[in-house]
This record gives sequence, C-alpha cells and structure tokens, in this order.
Amino acid sequence: MNTTFAVGVRGVEGGMVVALTGDIDGSASAALSEAYQRGVEENNPERVLLDFTATDYINSSGIAAIVSVLAQARAQHRPVLASGLSDHYREIFEITRLSDFIELHGDVDEAVTQIRQASR
Amino acid sequence: MSDSSARELAAFTLASEPGNERQALALVADALSQSGLSPTQLEKLKTAVAEATMNAIEHGNHDQADVLVEVTVVEQDGVVVVAITDRGGAIGDLEPPAEPNLEDKLAGLQTPRGWGLFLIRHMVDAVDEVRDGDRHTVRLTVHPSTPPAITRSH
Repeated sequence: MNTTFAVGVRGVEGGMVVALTGDIDGSASAALSEAYQRGVEENNPERVLLDFTATDYINSSGIAAIVSVLAQARAQHRPVLASGLSDHYREIFEITRLSDFIELHGDVDEAVTQIRQASR
Repeated sequence: MSDSSARELAAFTLASEPGNERQALALVADALSQSGLSPTQLEKLKTAVAEATMNAIEHGNHDQADVLVEVTVVEQDGVVVVAITDRGGAIGDLEPPAEPNLEDKLAGLQTPRGWGLFLIRHMVDAVDEVRDGDRHTVRLTVHPSTPPAITRSH
C-alpha cells in the first residue's frame, strides 16, 4: 500500500547522499527538489547519490521528478549516482535511458565508496 | 488439452481519486498470484496497470471521485488481459505525440513528464484501446513466458 514519501540528505566525503523513502510519485516532486537544493547549499557536493533502498514504488511522475533533479545536477556539473534499485526499477532506468546519465550501484556503501575514491 | 475458456479473475471499481492506482495494482497482483506469469512479468504488469489507472483517473475521469474506474482481469490459455475503463479521452490523445527523449528533457526542450504511455508500452506485450459510447477502455495484454504444455497423442 501507499507509503508516504520522505527524503533525507547527508554529506559524505566528495558528495552527498539523498536517501529516498516511500513512494516516489507526483507528490514527492517538490520535497525531492527542495531536499536536493538544500543539500547542495549545505554540502556543495562534487557528486550526488540518490539512494532508493527504502523505495518500492516509482511511477511516471516519480520518474519526472528524478529527471528534474538530474537536470539540475547536470547543469551544475555534478555527476549523479543511484543505489538500491530493485531489478524492476533498474530495468525502467535502462528503458528510459536514465542509466545512461546516472551511474547505478547495487547498494549505498558501494556507491559511497565510489564517490570517496573519485574525490581523491 | 488446453482450457480455451476465458476466466475472469477479478472485477472491481475504484473512485477516481489520485493514489487509487496503488489499490488497482495491488488487487490485480492478488488476482494473478496463481497465474502463469513470471515474477518479472507481474512486476511489469503492475507498473502498466498503475500508469493506465492513473491516466483513467486523471485524464479520463478528471479526478471526479464519483466517476468510477472499472478494472477487469481475464485469463485465457495463460494470456492475461487487464482492461481499465474510464469515461473520458484516449491516452494517445493526452500524452506528448513524440516518444519521450531524455536528452531533450534534460536540456529543457521537453517537459520532464510524459513517461506514462511510454512505460505502459514497454511493460506489456500489447496495448490497445476500445471506445464504446462514453466508455474508453485500455486493454493490457501479457502472454505467458512459457507456452502452455501441448498434450501429444501417440
């Protein structure tokens, strides 16, 4: 059933992690964009990780919200990574070609390690 | 010998309120829990059902809660057809005519939205639309991943 969207941001060496929880649909768009902007102001990250570990539903409006954040990050020359996608949503990222612009990792630790190594 | 009769696995209605697409996908998934669809096919169908139901709620019935979205799930020889009916326009009339182009969206040349029909078409084997008076139905068809066994006589 529906789970309310929540987003948390934390800085890591070389980047920031945007942890997404709950359903990513149209109602998540404003909160995701706001969290991204706040996180950028506070952390000035080189790279941005979107962590989907606690998400099990993304609809087309959610895809649009992710595209919006990706567009902002690319305009700021901040590479975007993603972690924690299920096989189903990994396939959707491939079909929509989001995976051409977002580096996919299996879990958040693997992605954070990548961000740290890339910053050194 | 295969059973060629169609079996209705579910039939239900939903109020046209945003978010009710989650109920649709849950009920369809429940109806198909014993079907021959693979887990991957079922996940894809759930996404297609959610998107088609969202379209029916928003664009077909214009978020009028008292105008119901009708959903039926039918299986015949392993082929699953989910029909989603609203009282409004065709989805093809409402989505951007061109395929969504991510480069254009990232460059601000296309709206970030417009993925619904694209997702539906990639998630199931066939999508077709039927009009009957003010009833507009989207039919999502999924074929079994493994063809039904054929009984041979010797």
